[in-house]
Amino acid sequence: MNSSTDPRRPDKEVKYKPSLATSQAQPGDDLTPDYMNILGMIFSMCGLMMRLKWCAWVALYCSCISFANSRITDDTKQILSSFMLSISAVVMSYLQNPQPMTPPWATAIQ
Amino acid sequence: MRLWLVALHIVLVGTNLWVTAHFQEDLPEDNEFAEFEDFEEEPSVPVQPVDVPEQFEEADITQGFEEDDVLVEDGDSEFDHFQDEEEFEGLDATGASPGSKPDEPSTLTITKVPLHLRARWDSFYLEILMVAGLLVYFINYIAGRSKNCRLAESWLANYKQLLLDNFSLVGDNGKNSEETTESDLFKESESQYSLYCSGRVGCDSLLIELKLIKRQDLVAVLAQLIRPQNDQAHLRIELAKDEAENFVLAIAAKRTAMHLARDMADISVYCPEKRPGEKFGLPAGFQIMSEIAEAASAILDTRVLQAFNKYAPYIDYIHISDQYSGPKQQEDATQLTMPEVKKVLLVGLNISIKGRMPNAETQEQMRPLLQLTFYLIDKLRRFKLSKEGKNKAEKNRLRVEEAFLKTTHAARAEAAAQRREERRRAEKDRILQEEDPDKQRKWEEKEQRRLAKKRAPRMKQLKVKAL
Repeated sequence: MNSSTDPRRPDKEVKYKPSLATSQAQPGDDLTPDYMNILGMIFSMCGLMMRLKWCAWVALYCSCISFANSRITDDTKQILSSFMLSISAVVMSYLQNPQPMTPPWATAIQ
Repeated sequence: MRLWLVALHIVLVGTNLWVTAHFQEDLPEDNEFAEFEDFEEEPSVPVQPVDVPEQFEEADITQGFEEDDVLVEDGDSEFDHFQDEEEFEGLDATGASPGSKPDEPSTLTITKVPLHLRARWDSFYLEILMVAGLLVYFINYIAGRSKNCRLAESWLANYKQLLLDNFSLVGDNGKNSEETTESDLFKESESQYSLYCSGRVGCDSLLIELKLIKRQDLVAVLAQLIRPQNDQAHLRIELAKDEAENFVLAIAAKRTAMHLARDMADISVYCPEKRPGEKFGLPAGFQIMSEIAEAASAILDTRVLQAFNKYAPYIDYIHISDQYSGPKQQEDATQLTMPEVKKVLLVGLNISIKGRMPNAETQEQMRPLLQLTFYLIDKLRRFKLSKEGKNKAEKNRLRVEEAFLKTTHAARAEAAAQRREERRRAEKDRILQEEDPDKQRKWEEKEQRRLAKKRAPRMKQLKVKAL
């Protein structure tokens, strides 16, 4: 009986409210960007402090993944700073020691 | 598909490993030693002629007068050979070698040439690989992003008319209605789009979330090869408050059922038991979690069962609940009130199976499923539980509330005590700030009396015990 009549009710319209807690991560949310952000930060620190070049490169990859997975509502500053940190880790490690990188597994192969 | 991108990445990694394995063998081929030999000998040529004349001059001074006749004999030629360059070459070769120490080669120090001077591009193979990897990642990002965008747009284009027929408001984004964008969808991330509709009988709103595969992320694309996932559409319908009965029911594919029973607060509390769907006439692979059996059999009427049987792979879950509060919160003793609940109908649909691009045929199959959703909305509005069912539901809700109050009793008592303490401190501050000493004294007396009163019953008790 209802299919014949129009189910639309303009008087019952409810305006869209952006979900209550967009800023804070909800349990169902995808946490990849946050994890990658932290991982990238750890790797860039390792790259800077211990002069491990591969760490700096991994940090750069981490920030890329974080960028690709980020939500629109996410803070762009965070992603930008993660990029800056990882890039600076790469640059600094090559300024200090312009030798080509030796992969971490090179010693294992020998 | 962007399989070529994946293949390219694998090839890059392969070359990386190969070059690493052969890197050590390449080193000896660098004949850098020869370069250094030339470099070392060049400065020695101008130095030698300076030394040699001095030796000869000294010989002149000391031996000049004693051995006159010898010197006279070859007087003319004595200094001629200084101008003769060929003479020096001979002298250099014959005279220098016996003059210098016998172990001369060991004194030949090889200056360390800074590594960057002889760095060659092939020794930076790892860096080149890294940059190439980043490039591949970004190409994939742009390609995947546009593909996801196209998918979402085409999905909307297909069903917009159906939505417009059912809802008076389609595509509200919560902002001013004046600044309408060309697309009703709004993007939450590169792989997630939402569409909001409202104004229909039996429900407050419909929020469609398109959760597509993360095609923009190369890591996710690679993970897709190992563990394929589907593009999904999640429909969340908020039912009108007083128009639907109270019960919790979920019908889900096996894997999703496991997640729902574990993570969803309402399901894990009201109906954690999973029953195979075959009993209700559902195709194999579906499980039912139901609070009230009567509701399950009423919702799964012939029309719904027909849809389930026909489009089984495209249905992920249907979840009807009057106690929906989202995923389970962490065990949090500080939470003092029951979580806010909503009456919802949640439907999860698979747009594509295992990442295969939806073609026109599969797109058409979504239409009956959307119609099924609207049918369910109308059915829920009309459906009434029997008296026993209603009682059971009511009892269940009371039981859950009691259990919640019991677990949070200590926390609530603590919070109340804290609030009281807070109020008292505020009053004390207020009194102390006042200038009137009389009032202050009065308040202190009152406080003393209160404290004494508080202690008094305990004293009495002690007395009784002593007697």
